Amino acid sequence: MNPRKLLALTRAGIMESLHYRLGTAVTLFANLIYLVLVYFLWKAIYASSGVDTVNGMTFTDTMIYLILATSLFNFLEMFVVWDMSRSIQSGKIILDLLKPMKFRTYTFWSYSGSHVVLFVLTFIPTFIVVMIVTNGAIQLGLNLLWFVLATVFALIINFNIEMLVATLCLYTESTWGINIVKETIVLLLSGASIPLAFFPDWLRTVVDYLPFRAVYDIPLTILLQKNGTDTWQGLLPMFGLQIIWIAVLSVAGILFWNHSVRKITVNGG
Amino acid sequence: MGNEALVMNNVCKDFKVLNRHEGLKGSIRDLFSRDYKTVSAVKDVSLTVGRGEIIGYLGPNGAGKSTTIKMMTGVLEPTSGEILVNGKVPYKNRTENCENIGVVFGQRSQLWWSLPLVESFKLLRDLYMVPQKEYEQMIDLYRSLVDIEPILNKPVRQMSLGQRTLSDILAAFLHNPAIVFLDEPTIGLDVSMKDKIRSLIKGLNKEKNTTVILTTHDMGDVDALCRRIVIIDHGQKIYDNDIEHLKNYFGSYRTLQLRLADDTWEEMLIDESETDIMEVIMTKQKEKKIKDIRLQEISTEEVIKKIYEGEAV
Repeated sequence: MNPRKLLALTRAGIMESLHYRLGTAVTLFANLIYLVLVYFLWKAIYASSGVDTVNGMTFTDTMIYLILATSLFNFLEMFVVWDMSRSIQSGKIILDLLKPMKFRTYTFWSYSGSHVVLFVLTFIPTFIVVMIVTNGAIQLGLNLLWFVLATVFALIINFNIEMLVATLCLYTESTWGINIVKETIVLLLSGASIPLAFFPDWLRTVVDYLPFRAVYDIPLTILLQKNGTDTWQGLLPMFGLQIIWIAVLSVAGILFWNHSVRKITVNGG
Repeated sequence: MGNEALVMNNVCKDFKVLNRHEGLKGSIRDLFSRDYKTVSAVKDVSLTVGRGEIIGYLGPNGAGKSTTIKMMTGVLEPTSGEILVNGKVPYKNRTENCENIGVVFGQRSQLWWSLPLVESFKLLRDLYMVPQKEYEQMIDLYRSLVDIEPILNKPVRQMSLGQRTLSDILAAFLHNPAIVFLDEPTIGLDVSMKDKIRSLIKGLNKEKNTTVILTTHDMGDVDALCRRIVIIDHGQKIYDNDIEHLKNYFGSYRTLQLRLADDTWEEMLIDESETDIMEVIMTKQKEKKIKDIRLQEISTEEVIKKIYEGEAV
């Protein structure tokens, strides 16, 4: 695939999302409110437990994790399912299907620009604030580079999950319910709303091998250098899990999509 | 490449549709229903279109026009029969086929909504890998055909429907495709904009020898652009010939209007293949004095209407 085509899509995506700067500001504000809620909720949890460390995490640890998870969530969140169901209902999808590249590639790179913008406008400021407030609790080094790489992988995994669900919606012709189920599962099992350290052991074992963890928990673990990810022995299994899930989900997604797209009947006209 | 831009041989397309039942009970029953019926949207259509032709592809609503267009563009796979676009099977070489076709759907836009038009053009230039020189030549050609300066830097969402349609047509021709599909391009436009769009399509077709497949309900488009028209109804091709022949398709009708001595107009539809107009006038003149005569060709619109209503078949 020629990079000129792909980067042109990224460029247009960046321009389009900069256009909606008010929307970005509102997202940041909503985030802030959510974080205040998270702060008091966990403060109460720690106060009632009566100890400083719960499941190996101090209150500060938990807060850093959840704040970063939330901003990571805002940055990684994709609306493939919503957008696709809308363009199927309006019949606009036919114009996307008629672009001179694979639909998946086209879709992914169309979204890439807005992720670049969100990363710069929401994740980086949050990260800097957390760093200043916690006064050096996060170490800076090679882990930043690995974190960026893990985040790109996470983005690809998230995209694959979205595409699978979106393809499913071709059959149901209704999206709302399926998408809510997907969002809840991803948020819970990925560690974006509750740190995975708080999960019961049996669930933890299951979740460790699921793709959802690879979206939020792995990049954050790497960034915060937990679980031995400051060494190669710790890093490799993390990246390994991400790459395996990318491969599995991509193959499944491509097969499912190719099978489905032949059956679709585009509405209207 | 051969001389044909598009070849269709005995193409059929069937859809499986769930038999829906009425009411709440029916809806619940439908959840578990396996009761499908087959609907044939296109039945045994054959068609050959040469390079540089502009074809009017007509038919009443629901005749199977859009289904045919979707098969030509490779979005739908025909149930049986063969389609070749630029010598290739569209649904098997979808990406490749897309590089060689352009599409405009009058009611939707492929442009990037919040960006100025020129950004959409640049993006399409990169997506279709158009060399910079060819891109500039194309923009120069556009300049010579229409006044694009006022819209080039305007965000698409601020455009009027006419400007947007114009932009969409320009966008579809940008990568110099061999075939362009125009699906109701003049829908909802005012008279002067329709005229502008027609002359633009004509100009681009002439300059680039682009094959144009035009579906429309506006006979003005057909009269202005198409020499040949194809009509389908109930999924079957019922007419494929020159527009001139169309008027003789079911007799060569003309309307004769006579103003008589008492200043009233008398109107009659005469089939010239059976009745001689002069004879009619003479007979009339013997009865009453004729003060004025008007002779009118039957319009394309009237002929098409008669065909759609099934009088001709």
